[in-house]
Amino acid sequence: MANPRSSFLLSPRGDTLLYLIALLSIFSLLLQHISTAATADSHFEGFDAEDEIEDDSLLLQSSLSDLPRRSPPPSTTLTTSSDPESHHGPPNPTSPDSSMPSDSDLPRKPSTSFDYWDEDEFEGFPAEVTPPEVTKDTEPTTPADGSVTAESDETAKVSEPVSFTKRIRSYTIEITCVSFLIMFTINFFTGRKENETLALAWAARFASRDTIFDKNFSLLGVGEGDDSPLLLKEGQNVFKFYASGRRFCQGLLATMELKSRHDLIARLYNMIVPCQDEITFEVYMNEDSMDHVVFALAKRKAAKAMQKEVVDLQRFANLMPSGPNGRKWVADELTAITESKEVAGDLITETVLDQVFGEKAFEKFGKWFISMHFSDQHQSTHRKMLVLKFAIPDANHMAEMTRLVALVPYYIDLIGRYKLSSQARSKTEAARSKVAQEVYKELQNARQEALQRKKAERRKMMEEAESKLNAEALRKREAKERARQLKKAMPKIKMSRGA
Amino acid sequence: MSLSGNDPRQPSSAKPYKPQPVHPDNLPVDYSGFIAIIFGVAGVMFRYKLGSWLALIFCAQSLANMRNLETDLKQISTGFMFAVMGMVTNYLSPARAAVKT
Repeated sequence: MANPRSSFLLSPRGDTLLYLIALLSIFSLLLQHISTAATADSHFEGFDAEDEIEDDSLLLQSSLSDLPRRSPPPSTTLTTSSDPESHHGPPNPTSPDSSMPSDSDLPRKPSTSFDYWDEDEFEGFPAEVTPPEVTKDTEPTTPADGSVTAESDETAKVSEPVSFTKRIRSYTIEITCVSFLIMFTINFFTGRKENETLALAWAARFASRDTIFDKNFSLLGVGEGDDSPLLLKEGQNVFKFYASGRRFCQGLLATMELKSRHDLIARLYNMIVPCQDEITFEVYMNEDSMDHVVFALAKRKAAKAMQKEVVDLQRFANLMPSGPNGRKWVADELTAITESKEVAGDLITETVLDQVFGEKAFEKFGKWFISMHFSDQHQSTHRKMLVLKFAIPDANHMAEMTRLVALVPYYIDLIGRYKLSSQARSKTEAARSKVAQEVYKELQNARQEALQRKKAERRKMMEEAESKLNAEALRKREAKERARQLKKAMPKIKMSRGA
Repeated sequence: MSLSGNDPRQPSSAKPYKPQPVHPDNLPVDYSGFIAIIFGVAGVMFRYKLGSWLALIFCAQSLANMRNLETDLKQISTGFMFAVMGMVTNYLSPARAAVKT
């Protein structure tokens, strides 16, 4: 229902283009503002310093006070003043002229009045006159009262277009930020809608009636009852789907972590560092239906990282550089991490190779596969768990991940029925007991340390309390002593007064 | 590619969903709220308009990413207060100065 509107506003291609343009415009505005702010600041700084100098010069030369500081003199003086200049002969009109174009926003007449004077004597004076004009132009930026605006009106008549653009420029921050906030708000609602449609498309594809999860689990959704909601929304970009009631497992929790489409800043960031919509299936296996299995499969680089970072893989498993001899094996990009070759060989069956992980099939479906990790030694609340991580295609191509989702029930059955050979089992049992012993030792050590620390703390506390008590007693005694001495001293004073 | 022909469903063993309690330390850090506070303080201290505006923007981001109401709202409100304070000092005090002169 929302499709016509969303496709008009945010078709995936045009969408990113639109945001790119928005980003560019924001940056250009920011840059512009920074440059203008820098120049404005320099004016103000100069103004403060030169104002004092100007005052001094006014005191010294009272004739200079006639100079037009605030209001422009009538244009008639312009013509009259230029006349005597021409009669007087040796003018050097080059210098006033050259000073004029440098400050384009200066009203013209100061230069004419300067013509009366010796240029050398008042070198640099025109520069001193300029600051008041500039400040008057910038003053209206602040929400000013009437007197200031009335004053500035005079100058505004002289240089109206300049002050107008300047006024706009001085509001650059406000304009930029307010427009960004508006964009942010609009994006929040559109992005939220986008994420919701994507999550609902997934649920419709895989969790509605007569779909893969409906055929495999008797209870779907996060609530109780038949018409409970399928998805649980956590935050704006995390959706959870729960299913339960199947052999070999207690339940399945799928967590969709979508891109932060609702967050404009994150969206801009993701333009530089792209990320994917991900879904993680956690299958909580029954205690009695999972043998000793530690196995993971991921793309080459990710597999190396997993082997180093994930605790149970680090403890029990190793990278498996190549498959068993004389057998088809997974695609080249994939690397398996496994406790023993036997487990890996049994878990990567012909069917799976044919459907997903084989060279040919992986070309097609590989881009949606991230990793899978089966272990009976997970470091979370539930120990026996299958974790499968996939990327989610966009809403129109949801069918592309059907085979990957089908891996979930397939592996629940496969692992639920799987039994290790006695040889392998003895090995894995030895490894587990060894690790368990280590863990137990560590725990013991930690407990002992904690006990000792507690003891030390208690001792410290006791000591502190004792010393406090002592100090208090001392203080009390001292106070008593002082009081006694005061009492002793009192009568003496009385005596002296009486005398 | 199912291994068995018979129905794998077992309604008797179905358990309703129980949300796992999340330890407050494991919650994702709210970076944007933190940045908002920093910008807000900078905006107030240095009378820097852009700082206050950026604080307001990051407040909005933090608000958009909010997950549970109670813990996050505290930080957001702090950041928001600083942002508003910066706005007041930036936009209202120069006007007062202009009246004096």
